[in-house]
Amino acid sequence: MSTHPLDLPLRAQAAAIAAGEVDAGEMLTAALKRIERRNPAVNAVVETFPERSREMLAAAPEGPLRGVPVVIKDEWPLPWRAQRFGAAELIAATDPTPGESGPYRALRDAGAVILGVGNMHELGSGSTGNVSFYGPARNPWDPERCPGGSSSGPAAAVSARLVAGAVGADGVGSIRYPAAYCGLTGLKPTFGRSPMAGHHMDGISTMIVSGPLCADAADCRLLASALFGEELAAGTAGGVRIGIVRDSVTDDVTPTVRDACEEAIRALVAETGGELVEVELPDLEPAALAAVLIANTEGLAGLSPSRLASLDPELSPIARGLLKYRMLLPAAATVKAHQVRTLMRRRLAAVFNGVDLLAWPTVPAVAPPLQAPLVELPSGTLTADQANVRGGALANLTGTPAVSLPVGLDGGLPVALHLQARWGRDELLLDAAEALERANGRRWVEALPPLAREAEPTEAG
Amino acid sequence: MEAGDRAEDFIQAGLVSFGIAADETELAVMGAAHAMFWPAILALLDLDPGELAPEPSPDLSLPPATP
Repeated sequence: MSTHPLDLPLRAQAAAIAAGEVDAGEMLTAALKRIERRNPAVNAVVETFPERSREMLAAAPEGPLRGVPVVIKDEWPLPWRAQRFGAAELIAATDPTPGESGPYRALRDAGAVILGVGNMHELGSGSTGNVSFYGPARNPWDPERCPGGSSSGPAAAVSARLVAGAVGADGVGSIRYPAAYCGLTGLKPTFGRSPMAGHHMDGISTMIVSGPLCADAADCRLLASALFGEELAAGTAGGVRIGIVRDSVTDDVTPTVRDACEEAIRALVAETGGELVEVELPDLEPAALAAVLIANTEGLAGLSPSRLASLDPELSPIARGLLKYRMLLPAAATVKAHQVRTLMRRRLAAVFNGVDLLAWPTVPAVAPPLQAPLVELPSGTLTADQANVRGGALANLTGTPAVSLPVGLDGGLPVALHLQARWGRDELLLDAAEALERANGRRWVEALPPLAREAEPTEAG
Repeated sequence: MEAGDRAEDFIQAGLVSFGIAADETELAVMGAAHAMFWPAILALLDLDPGELAPEPSPDLSLPPATP
């Protein structure tokens, strides 16, 4: 493995800079050069602003991430740039403007240097990342495959080792799907625990959270601590009780995904001295739809017939069609969705009296082709969006934290396990992820896609 | 009437009601979305959560107040 500073984990980059072993200015320059070299293959970073980044570095306080370059999703405004949401036009109740978003402030106060803006699925409305105003982001494991979405660029950027950490947003799985497709660890925090200020849906959305995407759990802990403004203490996850649900979320998956996730769960139980418990959690499919309906209707404040009549022609036909379809969703279904939310919150609260974690595959199949994001499952061919939402939506619907972590490869593409915990137990998710890393010798968190294995030219430092 | 016809009627009637125009591509996207979501929406509407009322202003950072 390369020992170039850009290939170090986020925490090691921070430690090396703090110890004076690595010059943060040189690191910034090297990272920008690496973006120039590698980004065309993955389209992960849609904009850099070297002068702004250097200003951030010059003003960086002695925080836990001082001088460390990171990428932030195109969902968050920066003081010098409004978010575009991966779209020609952001349909929101208020027009986007530059500003100090919560994640920006948290990163700045931790001393991090925002190096660039990460691509995203247009309007945040897909789990694949294959549609964007900037062109699709591509999966570093195979550029013809989807990187996952909607936080496609942050995931592809970390996977390609353009940076060691990135901040995404998760409204219906949008951190965890790209983490899964790109072989990363991605944390969807408990609702309200990570900053949302400045987001165009802040105060409106009951679904979206900001969160970290990194190579492994320890880096996620560091970046999440910076975002939360509190240190997430590390533990051992000793004796953890893991709940398994028999449902389409665990059964309607490819054999390789099922085998890799079952092996990972067994390894986690063995590593922690834990226990496996089969639990009942019915109605996961209606719960997933409820999450989609709530997420879609919360965004309706910016929609009106007159607005829909004057959509930017550069919006994709998919976005234009879906925006118009949103107007037709029946109110009764949204009311029922809120009942289902209450039902599932109560059921989860009861389930978490008996287990500490729920485990299932993050996505039922590996990253599909960019040109045809379909997955072949035992039940038949589904769109990746249809299939992915089964496992990812419950955490957003209920407010609970969840993490996706790599547990294998299938045909050279990452396979991922999803762990979900009780409200506020974000730390336990990272403890369990680290325990699994120990159990498998960090094999999967250290696996690199071909693009990230390229040798660094000597002139880049 | 076939399901496909009903979907087309639903979409067309909705668009006309709102006075929203849609081109053929957008209509195709809407049709695909409808085919994907509508059966699940109907199943959701049929779901019987009993006497359960939605939590008033739930604090999603915490478990439900009433278990």
